[in-house]
Amino acid sequence: MPRGNLEIKNHIRRLRFEHGEMTQDQLAKQAGVTRHTIMALEAGKYFPSLLLAFRIARVFRVTLEQVFEYNSADLNL
Amino acid sequence: MSNPEKWAWWTLGVVVMTIAAYAAFFAFVGYGPAINSVFALLALTALPASSRRHFLGRAFDERELQIANKADRAGFGAFLLGFIALYVAAGFIKGWDANLTVPVWSLGEVVFWAWILILSVQAITTIVLCRGGSHA
Repeated sequence: MPRGNLEIKNHIRRLRFEHGEMTQDQLAKQAGVTRHTIMALEAGKYFPSLLLAFRIARVFRVTLEQVFEYNSADLNL
Repeated sequence: MSNPEKWAWWTLGVVVMTIAAYAAFFAFVGYGPAINSVFALLALTALPASSRRHFLGRAFDERELQIANKADRAGFGAFLLGFIALYVAAGFIKGWDANLTVPVWSLGEVVFWAWILILSVQAITTIVLCRGGSHA
């Protein structure tokens, strides 16, 4: 859950583009979620579970850190 | 529009229609029979495919499941608050030692409005969460 300046950013949109302009629907099917969830993820309105995060990373054949980025503006974590 | 949102709009529609039907019946037949006449209309919330999915709990992804759980908590939380408010109001108005003598149909009335409240809050919460905000 977002708290203050804590934020998890993701690069799903860019990764989709780099993977043959994969559609949200294609990614959703491969990750086992609905297209609306992918839309919410890309819009930063939803933070996925660890399981879904791994699934998305696996779809793109990259590491978790290449998909999701943890930013903390005021904490040194 | 996502499936939970479709369910929520359908449910709100059913709730509004049921209340309108209740008001119409109430004008002609009074409290008790009006409730008996329209209560079954709430079963329409189970009609669309999206609500069957909701009630059967299948094919949810994790975000939809979170939204459904939050909507359930909000709905039943509202019911609990309403129940406590009713209890406290009765205590203050009638007195804490008073005896209440109520007709049997009032039980149906309470269940009916409680169910209306729960469904409405669930549907509104679902729409709000589907349209924006963080769900994690």
